[in-house]
Amino acid sequence: MLNFLQIMVSGLAIGSAYGLIALAMVIIYKTSEVLNFAQGDMAVISTFVAYYLLAQQGWPFIAALPAALAFAVLVGMAAEFLFLRRAKKPNLLGLIIITLGFQMILFGFTSWKWGADPKDLPFPVSPFGAFELGGLIIGHLEALTFLLGLVVMAILFLFFRFTKTGVAMKATQQNLAVARIMGIRTRRVLLLAWGLSAAIGCLAGLLLGPAGTVDPYMMWDPALKGFASAVLGGMTSLFGAAVGGYLMGVVENLFGFYVSTEFKSVVPFAIILIVLILKPSGLLARHYVKKV
Amino acid sequence: MRGWQGFIVLALILTLGVVGTAGAAELSGVTKTEIHIGQWGPQTGPAAPWGAVARGTGVLFQMINDGGGIHGRKIVYHMFDDQYNPAKTKAGVKELQEREPGIFAWAAGVGTAPGLAVKDYLMEKKIPWVGPSAGSLHWITPPQKYLFAVYPLYYDEAQILVRYLVTKEKKSKFAILYANDEYGKNGLKGALLEMDKHGLKPVLEVPVGRADRDLKSHIMKLKDSGADTVIMWVNPTHAAITMKTAAALKYEPQWVTSSTLSDAPLMSQITGGLWKNVIFAGMIEDPESTSPYMTKYREAFEKYAQKGERWGVFFLAGIGFVEPMVQGLKKAGPNLTRARFVTAMESIKNFKGIMGNVSFDAKTRQGCNEVYVAKTDETGMKTIRLTDWMTVR
Repeated sequence: MLNFLQIMVSGLAIGSAYGLIALAMVIIYKTSEVLNFAQGDMAVISTFVAYYLLAQQGWPFIAALPAALAFAVLVGMAAEFLFLRRAKKPNLLGLIIITLGFQMILFGFTSWKWGADPKDLPFPVSPFGAFELGGLIIGHLEALTFLLGLVVMAILFLFFRFTKTGVAMKATQQNLAVARIMGIRTRRVLLLAWGLSAAIGCLAGLLLGPAGTVDPYMMWDPALKGFASAVLGGMTSLFGAAVGGYLMGVVENLFGFYVSTEFKSVVPFAIILIVLILKPSGLLARHYVKKV
Repeated sequence: MRGWQGFIVLALILTLGVVGTAGAAELSGVTKTEIHIGQWGPQTGPAAPWGAVARGTGVLFQMINDGGGIHGRKIVYHMFDDQYNPAKTKAGVKELQEREPGIFAWAAGVGTAPGLAVKDYLMEKKIPWVGPSAGSLHWITPPQKYLFAVYPLYYDEAQILVRYLVTKEKKSKFAILYANDEYGKNGLKGALLEMDKHGLKPVLEVPVGRADRDLKSHIMKLKDSGADTVIMWVNPTHAAITMKTAAALKYEPQWVTSSTLSDAPLMSQITGGLWKNVIFAGMIEDPESTSPYMTKYREAFEKYAQKGERWGVFFLAGIGFVEPMVQGLKKAGPNLTRARFVTAMESIKNFKGIMGNVSFDAKTRQGCNEVYVAKTDETGMKTIRLTDWMTVR
């Protein structure tokens, strides 16, 4: 029983990180219907900037964190402003391909600038510190990841529900032309969505980095699982993305412990497949049909 | 009728192809003043920490060239970044091999999968290849006339480690965490064989997928198994994740690992200082050694290595794997041909550079079988040698 609870705790913690990545993807999808394949590498480059400031420039964490987040916002906005906005007569597939190209640029730059040697990210919360509750071990970093995940989700929920900008973002996704006619500055909305998404991705990178190593490949697996979480929960539902992340983390860890570590990596693919067959819009998103 | 026409055209194409191939003379890779040697190595990508191997070889060749070369010829070194991607390895090797003046022989080359991608190509063309940078059984099963392996087999390393742990440390409750690829499986195979000799079985075997970044379920399984010794045959990133996750879950077995993770300063850095008291197999002398070879190479490193290069195990491995090749080139004499080079390599007996003893003969293609067992100290940065050079046989 203790093992089961331990797996649940670990699953929820890593699930929070998947949830954050899923949220970052959903924010862009909600505003532009674009699947951002550069999400993982946008997080990697921001995490590397944090590493550079902390380990190589000796900045205190309190200064490096906002700097890395600000850099992430800039990277996200640059992607929208320099690449997606420039596309002539873009269709959705074309925009998605542009994000793939941007991913390759970011990956190449990160590898060139910092090399591919794995690095240890200095972080104020120890990745191997933990406290015990009746035999249950809860890592400090795990607890922080879980809490931050909840806080970000709550803020986003309030933002989209109660702020003008949040509502404008939703309107932009539902009908860009009408949103523009209604006076919404859709270009700014898109810019903001990309910036916000990149910042959340950066947060996920900063939480995942200390638990392993910082290297150009660090987000490949988490980004895939974040994407699977978003599909699981529903690409247009913030709440769904968060729930999808938790489910993904827990299912993956339960499968790894009780069934097989060898086939653990297959779980997200299987989940994507099953969800796409049974409920294409995801578990918690409303099925959205565009009328002609 | 159409069928017959097609058959004739096909036969013609095939005939021309065969004649064309047979007619193309193999480029020698040797001129009056130069010997062209090639090597692939990941300078970017997930295996980039091992990219220092190819750079180490470059420094060795520069040192030799500055000393007058070999029989009046300078070594022209062609190194390319294959990103540990077998498709890129094959494309790069073919391009260099088939372009004037060709490559005389290939040195080292990181990785089992990249090496396997070009092994048949090189052997069919009778191009010598010395010191593949992976301790795989593939290089010598069966032995190939033009392939001289130097890296001790992972299979042997694992046996030596288990033998040491059982006989000297009196360990008996093992678990094995291994990369689910050729490298990991070779280690697993060796460890199981040696355990069997002692009437032991591991309490658990846990494979790690290449892309896995969350290893909590793996570590919980290890902890749950009650193993007091974990043999870890994984890559550096997975080793770092393993150590950090285990520390968070308060699991503190005796960690044991392969020569691929024997770079203590690097491992200590990426594990946040957790790389303490780790037992490992060493195949290269300690970089801090003051042996004559090591002193000479250190001077070359300071003179030729690029800024930012680290004096570490992987860099030195690039020298160690190629030392026998240099011996072979010297022994082959001034009239250098691939046949003479192979004969010269076969005559190498008990050569001792910065690795264990290296010997080849007409049948033997695994030159070095020796590793030693060592342990990192309380800082995790330095190593304490526990045994002399050992072999399984």
